[in-house]
Amino acid sequence: MSCNLALYIHVPFCRHKCHYCSFVSFEQREADISPYLRALGQELAEHTGSERISSIYFGGGTPSVLTIRQIDDLLTTIKSLFTVDEAAEITIEANPGTVTREYLTEIRKLGINRLSLGMQSLNDSELVLLGRIHTAAEAIDAVRSARNSGFENLSLDLIYGLPGQTMTSWRETLEKALEMEPEHCSLYALTLEPEAPMRREIEAKLIPDIDPDTSADQYELAEDLLAAHGYRHYEISNWAKEGRECRHNTVYWQNLPYLGVGVAAHSCLGGHRLANTRSLDRYMAAFASSVLPVVEMDEEINPELECAETIILGLRLCPGISLDNIHQRFGIDILEHYRRQVGEMVDYGLLEHADGHIRLTRRGRLLSNEVFWRFLPG
Amino acid sequence: MDQLLIRNFCIIAHIDHGKSTLADRLIELTGTLRRDEIGEQMMDSMELERERGITIKAKAVRLDYKDSHNEIYRLNLIDTPGHVDFSYEVSRTLAACEGAVLVIDATQGIQAQTLANIYLAMEHNLEVIPVINKIDLPGSEPERVLEEIESVLGYKASDVLLISAKTGQGVPLLLEEIVRRIPPPRGDISKPLRALIFDSHYNDYKGVIAYLRVVDGRIAKGDHLRLMEHGTEIEALEVGYFTPEPRPLAELAAGEVGYIATGLKSVGECRVGDTVTIASQGATEPLIGYRPPKPMVYAGIYPTQMEEYPQLREAIEKLSLNDASLTYEPETSPILGYGFRCGFLGLLHLDIVCERLEREFSLSLVVTVPGVKFNVTKTSGQKLTITNPTEFPVPTEIEKIEEPWVKISVITPSIFIGALMEVIQKSEGTYKHTEYLGQLKSSEALGQRVRLEYEMPLRSMLTTFYDQLKSRSRGYASLDHEFIGYRDAKLVKLDVMVNDITVDAFSRIVPPDKAHDVGKAMAAKLKEVIPRQLFKVPIQAAIGSRVVAREDIAAKRKDVLAKCYGGDITRKRKLLEKQKEGKKKMKNIGRVEVPKEAFLEVMKLG
Repeated sequence: MSCNLALYIHVPFCRHKCHYCSFVSFEQREADISPYLRALGQELAEHTGSERISSIYFGGGTPSVLTIRQIDDLLTTIKSLFTVDEAAEITIEANPGTVTREYLTEIRKLGINRLSLGMQSLNDSELVLLGRIHTAAEAIDAVRSARNSGFENLSLDLIYGLPGQTMTSWRETLEKALEMEPEHCSLYALTLEPEAPMRREIEAKLIPDIDPDTSADQYELAEDLLAAHGYRHYEISNWAKEGRECRHNTVYWQNLPYLGVGVAAHSCLGGHRLANTRSLDRYMAAFASSVLPVVEMDEEINPELECAETIILGLRLCPGISLDNIHQRFGIDILEHYRRQVGEMVDYGLLEHADGHIRLTRRGRLLSNEVFWRFLPG
Repeated sequence: MDQLLIRNFCIIAHIDHGKSTLADRLIELTGTLRRDEIGEQMMDSMELERERGITIKAKAVRLDYKDSHNEIYRLNLIDTPGHVDFSYEVSRTLAACEGAVLVIDATQGIQAQTLANIYLAMEHNLEVIPVINKIDLPGSEPERVLEEIESVLGYKASDVLLISAKTGQGVPLLLEEIVRRIPPPRGDISKPLRALIFDSHYNDYKGVIAYLRVVDGRIAKGDHLRLMEHGTEIEALEVGYFTPEPRPLAELAAGEVGYIATGLKSVGECRVGDTVTIASQGATEPLIGYRPPKPMVYAGIYPTQMEEYPQLREAIEKLSLNDASLTYEPETSPILGYGFRCGFLGLLHLDIVCERLEREFSLSLVVTVPGVKFNVTKTSGQKLTITNPTEFPVPTEIEKIEEPWVKISVITPSIFIGALMEVIQKSEGTYKHTEYLGQLKSSEALGQRVRLEYEMPLRSMLTTFYDQLKSRSRGYASLDHEFIGYRDAKLVKLDVMVNDITVDAFSRIVPPDKAHDVGKAMAAKLKEVIPRQLFKVPIQAAIGSRVVAREDIAAKRKDVLAKCYGGDITRKRKLLEKQKEGKKKMKNIGRVEVPKEAFLEVMKLG
C-alpha cells in the first residue's frame, strides 16, 4: 500500500543573509555543505518505505548554492529510496545572483522542472534595502537564462510593503515582472520577525516602519493587475496561469501529509507534526554519530485540531473549502458546527458561502487572521 | 506594672523619612529582637500575608528598656499608617499615646506630611520629641533643618535630637529622652474598664483581633465586654501583647497596650475609635468621639470577565472584613456588566484595594474614573447624592450642585512656585497663603523652601494632580490635603460614545469650560488605545446631545499571514491561538473590542 507524499529538502546555506530574513539559514558555512548533504542522505534513508513521491521541493536558504553534482547525487539518493512519480513536480528555489545559464541547463536536465526565482523587487534601491546580492538587471538576466535553459514553469517571488515603498514603485516592479510572463507569482507582504535585522533598523528609526494600509493598497493593486494579465489568484499570496499552481505547496494548504528533511524541516505524517532541530551543528553531529533522531518538536494533531487546521489552511486557497469534503473527511457540517463564526464573518463581508464552498472575500483575504482564529478549537 | 514605668508613644514622619528604620532600631537596641531576627520577622509576616490573605503587621510592639539606673521601663511603640488617606486611623493611634517621636529627614527638612502629623499630635496634646534622622548621609544638613524646626515648628534647638536610625547613632539617647520626656499614662485602674481600639484585623482562627490601649480599669481573658459605640457584646477570648509576635497573657491593666481576640466576624463590627468597656456596669462615657469612616473617593470596580463577578463579590466581602473604611454597593453597567461602586478614603486606598483584589484574588479588574460624592438638588426639589457620574442629571434639571473641597498644603523650593501655582490654578485651586520655611544648602540653587496653601475641589485632585506636582517640581514638592467641607459647584456630565454607544465607565463630571479640552483628550487617547476594528469606529465626547469632540478610528484593513507553508503551520497556528486569547481579554462595547488598558489610560487623563 502506498500513499502520496510531498518531499521537502531544506538547504540552509546562503552566500549572504538578507536583512528581512529570519529563516534557518547560515552564511559562510560552505565547508559544511558536503557533510550536511551526507546527513541529509542518512535522514532520507530513515524514511524509506512505501511512500510515493508526487513532488519534490528544494527550499532554503539558497538551494542554488549546491553544485550540479550535489543536486544530481541528492536526486539519485531520493530515487533509490522512494518511488518518484513520472510526472512529479520538482522545484528548486534559486537566487538570481547565483545562477548561470549553464547551471540552469544542467539542473533542468537532471529533471528539475520548476524554478522559483527570488526576484523580490525590480528596483535596485529596494534590493539594497532588502540586502539582496543581485541587481534588477541580474534578476531579469536570470529569467532569460531560465527560459533559454528550458524551464517552462517559472515562478517569481516579489515582496511588497517595504518601508518607504510607493505604489508607483510597486506597480513598476509588478509590470516589469509580468512582462517576463512567469507561469507563477508569489507576492509576499514584508513580515519582519523581531530578530530580523531590518526590524532593528526600524526600531532604531533608521528606516520608516511598515505601513499596513499601504501594504493593503499594494496587495489590491497586485490582485487587479495580475487578474488583468490572466493570472488566477489561487492562494492568499500566490497567483498562477491556468494549471500552473504549485502542486507541492498545495499539499500544505490541503493539510495532506508531507515529509521534510534537513535542518528545521517540518513533516506532517501519521497525525503528528514534527520539526527537526534548528541547529546545523546538532543536525550534522546527530548523523555523524548515528544518534537519532534530530526531531525537536513532535506535536500530535488530534482530529479536532486537524479539522480546524484543514479549514484554516483550506481557506487560504481562493476557491475556499468544499463543505462536502470537510464532511467526508471529518464528519462535520461546517455551517452547523461553526454557525456563529460563519454568520459573523459573512456579516462582516470577510467570508462568502456559495456553490457548496465557503471562501474568503477580497477583503477577507487581507483580514484572514480575523477569520482564522475563530475556527480554532477551545 | 506600675503605670509610672510605662511609656506609650508612636513615631510620626513624612514618607521615607525613616519611620520604620527607627522602629527596627528601637526594637533591636532594647534587645526585643536581634538585628537578624528583625529581617526574618518581616519575611515571616509577608509569608503569612500571602498564605492567609490578611495583614499581620507589628502594629504595636512592647519594648522592655533598662535605663542607666537599671530601672526597667515598658515602652509601647504603636505604628501609624503613613499616608494622608488614613488620617482618621492616625488620629486614633495618636489618641492611644502620650507622646510621639517626630522624625525629619536631615537631607529634606520639613515636608507636607511632617506638618500634617505634627498638627494632629498637637491636637491630641502629645509630648513631641523632634529628631533629625539620616545624619550619617553625606548630603545631610542637620543645622539647617534644625533652624527650620525652630522657626517653623517652634521647638528649641536643645530639644531636638540628632540621630541615624540606620547606624543607631543617637538612638540610645533617644530612648532615654522617651522615658524622661513622655509622661506616663494616668488612668485609673479602679474605675470601670475603658480601652480605645486603635486598629483591628481579621484572623481566620480567632476572629477580629482588636488592638487597644487600656485607659482605665483592666481587661482579663474571659471578660464580657461591650463596644460602647457599636453596642456589640463580646467575650475577650484571648488577651495579650506583641513582641512583635502575639503573646497571650492573663490581663492588661490601665496604661497598657495589647490586643484582645473578639471572635467577631468582621472588622466592621469592631471599629477603630470605639471604646471597649465591661458588659455590665461598665463606663458611661466613651474615651473619644467615634466617627464612622467617611469614604471620599468613589469608583466602579468590575471584573474584566463578566463570569468572574461571583469571585469579585467574594473577594470584596473578604477584603472588607479587614478594612472597615471600604464601602461597596452592587451596581450594573450596560457596558461593564455587574460590579460594585466602592468608596475609599483616598486614591492610595483605592490603589491598595485594587492591587490586593488583583494580586491576592487573581482577578482582572476594570476600574472606572475615580470621582467624589456630589450633592445635587434638582429643579423639582429632589435632593440626590451621586457617586456614579452616570446618575448625574442633565443640566436643565439641576438647581444646585455641591462638591467636597480640600485644603492643600504644598512644600516646595521657591524656584518651582510659578510652575506649581499654574498646575494648582488649572486644577481650580484658590490661593490662600504662602509661608517661607528656610533654606537647605543642598537645594540652595532652587531657592528658599516655601509652603503654599490652597483650597480646591477634591475632584480636581483625583487624576494626575499629584503626578503633575511631582513632575513640575522635579520630585521636590510634597503634598498634604484635608477635607474642609462641601461648596457650590458648576459642573456638567461629559459622556463618551464609542461607536454611538455611551460608555458609562468613561463619563465624568467637569466644569463646563473644561468639557471641550477634556473631551478632546479622551477621544484622542481612545483613538490611540483602541485597536482598529473590522469597521470604522467614531469616538465622540458630548454634554447631553451636544458633541464637543470627535475622532474616528479607521477600519482595520490588513491582518494576514503572508506565508504559510509546511514549516510555518504550527507556529502560525500558535499566533492565531494567541490572537484568540487576546480577544477573550477584551471588553466589548457593542461590537467594539476594547482592551482593558484603554480604561486605565483614560483614567490616567487629567
